[in-house]
Amino acid sequence: MSGRILVVDDEPEIRRALRTGLGYHAFEVRTVETGGEALTQAAGWRPDVVLLDLGLPGMSGFEVLAQLRQRGNRAAVIVVSVMPDETDKVRALDLGADDYVVKPFGMEELSARIRAVLRRQTAAAVDGEPVVRAGDLELDLARREVKVGNRLVHFTPTEYELLRYLALHAGKPVTHSTLLRQVWGEHAVGDTYNTRYVVAQIRKKLADNVAQPRYIVNEPGVGYRLKV
Amino acid sequence: MRERWPVGSALPYAAAALGVAAITAAIGLVRPWAELPNLTVAYLLLVLLLGARYGWPSAVSAALLAFLAYDWFLVPPYGTLWISAPRELLNLVVLVLAALAGGRLAASLAAREAGAVAEAQESGILYELAIAALREPVEAPALARLCERAVTPGGLEAMSLVAGDSRQAEVVAGAALTPTEVAESRVAMAARQDRGAVLRDGLLAFAPRVSGKSSAAFVVLGGGVAVLKPPRHRLNADQRRLLAALLGLAGLLLDRRRTAAISEHVRALEASDRLKAAVLSSVSHELKSPLASLRAGLTTLQMPQAGLTPDQRELVTGLNHQTTRLDRLVGDLLAMSRLEAGLPIEQQPQELDELVGAVLVGLRPVLEPFTLQIEIESGLPPVLADELQIERVLTNLLENAVEWTRPGAAITVGAQSRDSQIEAWVQNNGPAIPGEDLEQIFDKFWTNRRGGSGLGLAICRRIIEAHGGSIRADNTPDGPRFTFRLPTAHQAIEAAR
Repeated sequence: MSGRILVVDDEPEIRRALRTGLGYHAFEVRTVETGGEALTQAAGWRPDVVLLDLGLPGMSGFEVLAQLRQRGNRAAVIVVSVMPDETDKVRALDLGADDYVVKPFGMEELSARIRAVLRRQTAAAVDGEPVVRAGDLELDLARREVKVGNRLVHFTPTEYELLRYLALHAGKPVTHSTLLRQVWGEHAVGDTYNTRYVVAQIRKKLADNVAQPRYIVNEPGVGYRLKV
Repeated sequence: MRERWPVGSALPYAAAALGVAAITAAIGLVRPWAELPNLTVAYLLLVLLLGARYGWPSAVSAALLAFLAYDWFLVPPYGTLWISAPRELLNLVVLVLAALAGGRLAASLAAREAGAVAEAQESGILYELAIAALREPVEAPALARLCERAVTPGGLEAMSLVAGDSRQAEVVAGAALTPTEVAESRVAMAARQDRGAVLRDGLLAFAPRVSGKSSAAFVVLGGGVAVLKPPRHRLNADQRRLLAALLGLAGLLLDRRRTAAISEHVRALEASDRLKAAVLSSVSHELKSPLASLRAGLTTLQMPQAGLTPDQRELVTGLNHQTTRLDRLVGDLLAMSRLEAGLPIEQQPQELDELVGAVLVGLRPVLEPFTLQIEIESGLPPVLADELQIERVLTNLLENAVEWTRPGAAITVGAQSRDSQIEAWVQNNGPAIPGEDLEQIFDKFWTNRRGGSGLGLAICRRIIEAHGGSIRADNTPDGPRFTFRLPTAHQAIEAAR
């Protein structure tokens, strides 16, 4: 799988390493140093994935992300941060980032993440059919039915809505606040025990082992991700 | 306010004697011309006047004097105290009884009026001080005025107000104090015990003077202590009541002063928390950025496309491991600094099995060579925890277990509900921990493993203790076990359902 990757980072050494490493993985790579250059390249070169460092001097990564989305740029954005601070991840995801990677990272891990977002992009472009699949989990959006293998599983309306939202964004981390807003409404944002409780119920019905989850992965401090 | 007579209390009695003499003389002069039936009424008038002016004792003495004078001079036989006519005797008895009752009534009315005046004056003073205190954001002027009022009209020789606590004290209003008196104020504040005077039933009462001790009295108030210099003469009830009210107000003002000081301190602490967080995040950026470049570069060189010889690739793999180790060490140091900086934790209801799940997913490559056993009781109530911090505890305990376990052997993660807490453990079947190390193992920089930072378990203990929980290490027949306890979040779960 190949694709165009735009690397935005102010550290010259990491730009050099990524240019070489991602090149070995057969990606087409361009690197820029500032947010302003990132916006220009994103508009002109049309990358598939933007690897965006959040700690840029001057225009911050958050600002670049917000502007990209404001201008309707559909490139997948993976934010990269040295800070293990979860509020940054949540903020970036809520601004429209597709995934995040914490520095320092290995090249294998990074290219796996890039491939995953590229796959999701292609899948989203192709389908549009009313059935969402994630492993042996199958959601029929028209009939509001959920099947595991061929077994029909019954969910409460809240559980179904939460699962549906995760399924529509399969593979992508979805924040607690997004789930609360989408499933319960604006007033529920902040009450994160709601999502935890409902996810625990869904897990029980799907017979999903929390230690080795087949369907829903917990992203501590951030939210949940439906495995693809 | 009633005044006392410093020259003595002779004046009321002199007035009684003069009054009785004057009236007796007047009656003696008038009687030859006008035979009036009840001239004794004039005495009654005098008794009432004296009662109203000087109070009950002088009224009684006037009544008795009047009785004697009338009997001696005006009742036949004159010049003796003998009474011949029963009518005159009755007259006299009525005079004395009326004088006693009337004098008493007049005295109590006068006292009540004086009390009302005193109360009005007292309310006036308190009102003035309260307004001053409300108008000025800083209590000092109001406190200074309060000390003046305690002298006039309160009647004290001097009053000072000391703010602070047992460690430091500062005179904030009133007369200056000697260092000894300031030290004594601190002692009074530390013991929270008045000395030399006490507030009781809305009155200030001085204890009898103890010879040899300093003359000052100490009354402990909300935010400090009042140092009182009692006057030489006794204070009357109104003054003692006014002083009690003033001290009450002083207590409130000192309390307000202390509250303001505390909130100032809290603001400063918050600012320093923000500063610490900013410094830590800047330090982590500086430490982690070079590591990020190293890791990205080394893992790129490890790829077959880099075309390194096997020897070179081995070298790069070793360097990459070292970088990972350094990264973990830096992470531990930063985590420890964050904990030591006392940055707040965010406790929320969490499902413990979800936390364990997230950690196991994150550590999957590390845990691959081992047999993992999960013994989490089903239907556990949620714990009250900071998700990321507890994730860190579980990660550290599992990484520790990995260090001491042979590949293929078992590592167990378990949890159960116990005494309205949740108990969770990580167990490995490595060698037993020497008995003397079981407690020390959680100390900072303590390690008996080569290359260990000695921070992993210390971080665990800090985090668990910050949650109000506990952590310990034991040797079980199956190997060392690390157990921690966390509070549950029953109320939160009720609310969510």
